[in-house]
Amino acid sequence: MATSPSSFEPDTTFVATDTYEVGEQMSMWQDAWRRLRRNRLALVGMAIVTILILTAIISAFWTPYPVWIQSLGPTYQGPTAKHLFGLDDSGRDILSRLMGGAQVSMIVGVGTATLSSIIGIVLGLLAGFYRGWVDAVVSLLINIFYGLPDLLIVLLIVAVTQQRGLQNIILAISLTAWLGMARLVRGQTLSLREREFVEAARSVGTRDVHLLIRHIFPNALGPIIVQATFVIPAAILFEAFLSYLGFGVKPPTPSWGAMASEGYRSLQFAPHIILIPAAALCLTLMAFNFMGDGLRDALDPRMRR
Amino acid sequence: MTRGTLIYIGQRLLLITLTALIVSSIVFIGVHQLPGNAFLSERSPNPSAEQVLVHHYGLDRPWPVQYVSWLTGVLHGDLGESLVNRGVKITPLVLREARVSATLGFWAMVFTITLGMSLGILAAVKQNTLLDYVASFCAVIGYSMPSFVTATFLVLLTVTGFFAWSGGLVYENIGWGKPEQIPVPAISLGLLPSAIIFRLTRASMLEVIRQDYVRTAWAKGLRSRIVIIRHALRNALIPVITILGPITTGVITGSIVIEYIFGIPGLGKEFINSIANRDYNVVIGVFTFYAILVGIANLLVDLVYPILDPRIRY
Repeated sequence: MATSPSSFEPDTTFVATDTYEVGEQMSMWQDAWRRLRRNRLALVGMAIVTILILTAIISAFWTPYPVWIQSLGPTYQGPTAKHLFGLDDSGRDILSRLMGGAQVSMIVGVGTATLSSIIGIVLGLLAGFYRGWVDAVVSLLINIFYGLPDLLIVLLIVAVTQQRGLQNIILAISLTAWLGMARLVRGQTLSLREREFVEAARSVGTRDVHLLIRHIFPNALGPIIVQATFVIPAAILFEAFLSYLGFGVKPPTPSWGAMASEGYRSLQFAPHIILIPAAALCLTLMAFNFMGDGLRDALDPRMRR
Repeated sequence: MTRGTLIYIGQRLLLITLTALIVSSIVFIGVHQLPGNAFLSERSPNPSAEQVLVHHYGLDRPWPVQYVSWLTGVLHGDLGESLVNRGVKITPLVLREARVSATLGFWAMVFTITLGMSLGILAAVKQNTLLDYVASFCAVIGYSMPSFVTATFLVLLTVTGFFAWSGGLVYENIGWGKPEQIPVPAISLGLLPSAIIFRLTRASMLEVIRQDYVRTAWAKGLRSRIVIIRHALRNALIPVITILGPITTGVITGSIVIEYIFGIPGLGKEFINSIANRDYNVVIGVFTFYAILVGIANLLVDLVYPILDPRIRY
């Protein structure tokens, strides 16, 4: 019998039973979640992101005023009780447009992260797994595009195709954003394919597709999630740049970049028009960066203690 | 400069040329598959005049022929003629604008590196002091601040605030050509990357400062300036230098927006204007030039490595 907690005597009570008492079991994800919960900045980031997602969903059904209605009051009016964030240069309610802009930002951010991750993961897995000419082609593509300013490519695609829809913007940003993901997945795959568990799976005759999907991909999932989280703010920023330059979604669809661009002209006498969307954008980027940093610390095995 | 370095530079220049050639060819072919041209938007009243124009630019020939003649021109350093501003040769235009963009980019990089590194070193040396906390907090904010937001704040603070107070015209200091017009756009461009450099310098400095050889240097009784600058900093800078390549690309990319905001006649503004005007010849020219500019900037960064770390040789 165990006498005291500090004793090194084996606890014989457990030997008597058939079942083996294992200490609290914890999967990699539970472990990561435990660490994420302790990171205060990451929690703040996640809270802001949750609010953003809710705002984006709500704005699809309800905004205080329709986002496109002009002349709701005096143009350039500052914040009042009726219009919490004031009115813009054509008398539209800024709070409503800010909510609508959140929707655009979230769709672009999440859409780009999804699409670019799919492209990057598939190409990265194939390049890292098969090597040879597949790797040569993918690596050449990555090397050429990596040295080019990505905003330039996105601008070119959006401008040349003359399509201003959300899908086109997501597609254009994804076409440059997959590079980072492909590089990461390729590197992970290159090292994972040499590991014993992959060799074991292969030696019992597992097919390549199965190896990639069931054995290699899940083991690279941590870094993939972190990378995808950082694509979201980058894509939101890109969309803001695009609409700031006049190549974003078609007006009157609200977008933070376009709102800031309109506000810049009246900076001198109505600074709230630019400051409010600018603050929203900064807060969003900050929240996603906090969340990404937190996830990286939680999921990166090198940081494990 | 050793022979190896020269060979390395030669190889890199070759790679830059190759990239520029491949990319501009892709853009050329892509652009020429599209319907419409720069003349359509002008609603030329006379169809025969449009015919003359189309013929003048060789747009009536099949695209492979156009491509070959364009490529011959490029290899002779001739990027062709603007479709919108007739008679304007693109090569000298782009060269002039590239100088403006390079000036802006240079000062932005100077600002970025100076601010990021010096604050990073200070914060690491005075870890857990007020200075460290304030600088780290600012870096967290700066890290998430897009350049046009920074630009807005700076314009509000300096231009509007200062000039309204001094009774001057509000926007008179925005533009290009005078030396005093450089700081505001350069700082707007360089603030976000300086936050990245700050974080990296601080982290890497904190790691180096705890190493034995630094403790030895302190123990020898060296003055703190010498320990930090000569012993610690040199090793701490190596990871910082690796990020300078991507940061340079970022600054060059960011200059597109900044030039647009401040009306600076550089490559970025030209790119946006020519895209809006469908002046595809200029678009291709500017794009090619950007590829070269980024390539050369990255090459320069890579040449700094061996100076800091003698283990690296080309």
